[in-house]
Amino acid sequence: MEVVFVLLPLALAVAGIMLALFIWAVRSGQFDDLETPPFRILFDDVHKTRGSNRSQNEASPLADAASNVKD
Amino acid sequence: MTEVQNKSQLRVAGPACAHCGLEVPQSLLRGGAEQQFCCSGCEQVYGILHDWGLDGYYDVVNRHGGLGNPAAVSGRKFHEFDDPVFQDGQVESTARGMHTTALYLEGVHCAACVWLVEELPSVLEGVASVRLNLASGVAQVEWDPTKVALSSIAHALDSIGYTPHVRRQGAVERVRRSEDKSLLIKIGVATVCAMNIMFIQGALYAGEHQGMESRFEQFFRWLSLALAIPVVLYSARPFFRAAWSGLVRRIPHMDLPIAIALGGAFGYSAYATFTGDGPVYFDSLSALVALLLGARYVQARAQRAALERANHIKSVAFVEYARRLDSLGISFEVPVRTLAIGNRVEVRSGELIPVDGLVVDGHSSVDNAVLTGEPNAVAVAEGDRVHAGATNLGAKIVVEVEAAGENTRVGGLLALVDEAMSRRAPIVQLADRISRIFVVSVLGLAVVAGVIAFVRTDGDVSGTLQQVVALLVVTCPCALGLATPVALTVALSKAASAGIFVKNPEAFELCRTIDTVYLDKTGTLTEGAATVTKWRGDESVRQFAFALESHSAHPVAQAFRRSLVQPVRPTFSVVDVVEVAGRGISGVVDGHRIAVGNAELMDLLGVHVPTERHTDIVELTALGLSPLLVANGDEVVAVAGIGDRLRPEAGATLEAFARAGIAVHILSGDHVDVVLRVATELGIPHERAHGGMTPEAKHEIVAAACKDGKGRVMMVGDGVNDAAALALADIGVAVHGGAGASIVAADVVLTRPGLSSLLDLLIGGRRVLGVIHRNLGFSLLYNIIGASLAIAGLVGPLLAAVLMPVSSLTVILSSVVGHTFVRPKKIAARLGGA
Repeated sequence: MEVVFVLLPLALAVAGIMLALFIWAVRSGQFDDLETPPFRILFDDVHKTRGSNRSQNEASPLADAASNVKD
Repeated sequence: MTEVQNKSQLRVAGPACAHCGLEVPQSLLRGGAEQQFCCSGCEQVYGILHDWGLDGYYDVVNRHGGLGNPAAVSGRKFHEFDDPVFQDGQVESTARGMHTTALYLEGVHCAACVWLVEELPSVLEGVASVRLNLASGVAQVEWDPTKVALSSIAHALDSIGYTPHVRRQGAVERVRRSEDKSLLIKIGVATVCAMNIMFIQGALYAGEHQGMESRFEQFFRWLSLALAIPVVLYSARPFFRAAWSGLVRRIPHMDLPIAIALGGAFGYSAYATFTGDGPVYFDSLSALVALLLGARYVQARAQRAALERANHIKSVAFVEYARRLDSLGISFEVPVRTLAIGNRVEVRSGELIPVDGLVVDGHSSVDNAVLTGEPNAVAVAEGDRVHAGATNLGAKIVVEVEAAGENTRVGGLLALVDEAMSRRAPIVQLADRISRIFVVSVLGLAVVAGVIAFVRTDGDVSGTLQQVVALLVVTCPCALGLATPVALTVALSKAASAGIFVKNPEAFELCRTIDTVYLDKTGTLTEGAATVTKWRGDESVRQFAFALESHSAHPVAQAFRRSLVQPVRPTFSVVDVVEVAGRGISGVVDGHRIAVGNAELMDLLGVHVPTERHTDIVELTALGLSPLLVANGDEVVAVAGIGDRLRPEAGATLEAFARAGIAVHILSGDHVDVVLRVATELGIPHERAHGGMTPEAKHEIVAAACKDGKGRVMMVGDGVNDAAALALADIGVAVHGGAGASIVAADVVLTRPGLSSLLDLLIGGRRVLGVIHRNLGFSLLYNIIGASLAIAGLVGPLLAAVLMPVSSLTVILSSVVGHTFVRPKKIAARLGGA
C-alpha cells in the first residue's frame, strides 16, 4: 500500500494542473459570456452561403448603405 | 422567400413583414410588391442587409427563432461619438494601433442579431472585430481609427436596426469584472480542495471501521490539512473580512457565525493533526466554503444582470447629444457636455430637448409630461422657453442654449435625487438580524455543551474541546447563509422575466410592510398622451374624421392616430385639405365634406351646431376632456372628447391595493381639478388626491410619510418630477417608458407597460419573503437537531459532513420550487426568440 505515498501526491498534482487551467480560463474571460458562444458555433455554415453572394456586392457596401439611409 | 414560411408559427392572418414576420397593416400593403413591410424601419434594414450581402441573417432567424421584433432605426449620424470629450475614458487603445470600446445596442433579441452584428467587419473596412453578448446586448468593438471613425461604425449599426449607446460605467464595470473573476477563482480553489479532501476523508472514514495503519492515517490527515490551508486562508477570506468589519461597526453580519465556525473547526482540526489525536473537520469546512461562495457568486451575477439592464434602459432614456448649429446653420451632433451658453441647437420632431433655452426659430408643441405632469402639449414659438427633458412633438425648432447639463432644471432635480438616495438608511437584512441571536445562542450552547462534556468525561480537556468543536461545525449556519441569497437570486431572475427589474433586492423584503402607495397621475395612472377617449353622436363619420386627421401633424391629429384600433382603409380619397391654425382641419373625404375642429372653425365654415351637440360639449368638458366638433356637410354630427385616458387596468390594480389594506394616494403635478376628477373615477377619497405638486412638494410629502414610521411607503412614477420622491420612498417604482431620472432613482423598474406589474411585484415580494422564511426555518431546524445531537455527544466528523450538505440542499430546493413571480405567457417568450 506504500504506493499511495506516490499516487496521492500525483493525483493532487493533476488536480493542481486542472485548477491552473481553470484559473487561466477565468482570467482570459472565458466565463464572461455564457449565453452567446453556444449560438456562435452554429453560424459557420451561414458564412459559407453568404460568401458567394457577397462578391457581386463588393463594390462599395458603405456607399450603398449611405444611399439607403434616409435622413 | 423562406421567412414567409414562418407565418403559421406566428399566426399572422395577413401578409407577413419580410424582415420581422409581423403582420403588415392594411394601410401599408403595397400591391404587386414581392416583399411587404410592417414599418419603414424594417423596410430600410431589409434593403441594407440585401445590399451588404447579409441575407444570411434570415437563414439564422429561421433556424434559431427571433421573428416578431420590428427594426427601429434612428437615422442619426452619431457625430458626437468622434468627439474626444465624449470618447474620454470610454475608448481604449490596444496594441497594433487599434481602438476598442463597448457599446450597448438597442434591439438585440436573438441569435441572428449576434450573427449580423459580428458580420460588421466584413462590410465596413477598418472594423477589426465585433463581439456581441446576447444576454446583455453589449458589443465589444475593435477598429482601426485611421481607416474608420467610431461614428461610421455607430451609424452602420443603427442602419441595420441596432441603435448604439455608449456605456457610461467603464471604471465601475472593470472593478466589478475583476471582483467577479477573483470570486470565481476562489470558488475554483475551494472546490478542487474540497473534492480532494472528501476523497481522502472517505478513506479515513473507511479506515475508522476497518482499521488503518497509523502511518497512512497520519499521511492522509496531513494531506487534508495541506489542502485545507488555501481554502481557509485564500477562498474564505471574504467571510473573515465581512465578519470583522461587521464587528468593528457593531452591525451584525451573517458572516460572523460562519467565520466563528470556520475558524474554530480549522483551528481544532489543525491542532488535532499536529497532536495526531482527535477528529478533523477539513472536509466539512472546505465544502462549506465552496458552497457558500458558489451561492454568493450566483446571487451577485443575477443582481448585476438586473442592475445592468436598468442601466441600459437609462442610457436609452437620457439624451447625451445635441444637434448644434454652426454659423452656417449646418447641424452637427455634439455631446451635451460641450455646449456653451448662446450655442444654438436644433431639435427635430419626436426628439427630447437636450437643454434649457429659448426658442429662436420655428413653431411647435412640446410635451412637458415627464417634467411637470401636465399631459397636454404646450404650443411654443419664437421667444418661448423650453426645458431639457421635454419632447418636441411638432416641427423642427432651434433653441438657444441658456443652460446645459447639470445647470438645467432637470439637472437640479437630479441633484435632489442624489441627495435623497444618500439619505436613505440601509436596512439590516433579516438573515443579518437573525445572525446576532444566532451568534449569541451558538456561543451559549457551546459553553453549555462544554460544561456537560467536562462533567461527563471527568475533566478531560481534549474530549471537551472535541464536543465543543463538533457543536460549532454542526451548527455552522451554512443553510442559513444560503437561505437568503438563493431565494433572492431565483426571485430576481423570475421577476426579470415577468417584466420587473429589481435594482435593489431589499425591495422584496419591504413589500410585506407597505401600507401607503403614492402614484403619479400622468404617464402612470394614465397613458400620458392624449387620445380620443369619448365619441358622442354619429359613429359613421368617425372613420372619415380619422382619415382627415391622418393628413395633419397637429397634436390633436396625433391623438386621433393613437386611438386608432385598426388602420383606416386607404380606399378613402381625401382632397381639398385645409388646416386652419388654432381651429382645426377640413377637407373632402370620400365625397363627404368633413370638418374637425373647435367651435370657431364651425363658425368660420358656417356649420350649424345642434343643441344636443351643445350638451355633449358641456358634458365632455365636465369630464375634463377637450371637446372637438366633427361636421359632415353643414351640420355638426358628432363630438370627440380628447384627453389623457386612464390605463385600462388602473381601476382593478387600485382596487386590489385597497383590498390589501394599502392606502392609495395620487401625487400629480397636473391641475388640482383634473386630479380630483381622476380620483373620483378611481374611487380614491379626495383628501388623498394631491394636485398641482411641484417635484419638491412630492419629495416633501413622501419624506413626511416615510418619517411617521407607521408602515413602509411605495412611490410609483415615471417622470423627472417624481424622481426625488422615488429615491426617498422605501420602494420607488419607475413604470415602463419612464424618464431617465426616474429609472436612476427607482429601486424597481417595470419593463412592461401598464400597472398590473405592480401587483405582481407586491404579491411576488411577499412570496419571496415567504420562501426566505421557509428557508430560514429549515436551516434553524437542522441546526437545532444538530446542536442537540452535539450536546448529547453523538456528533462525529462523518455526521457533520452529511448533515451540512443535506440542509443546504433542502434550502436550495425550497428556493427553486417556490412560486414567486409568474413567468409570462409562453407565446411571448417564443416571439422573443432565442
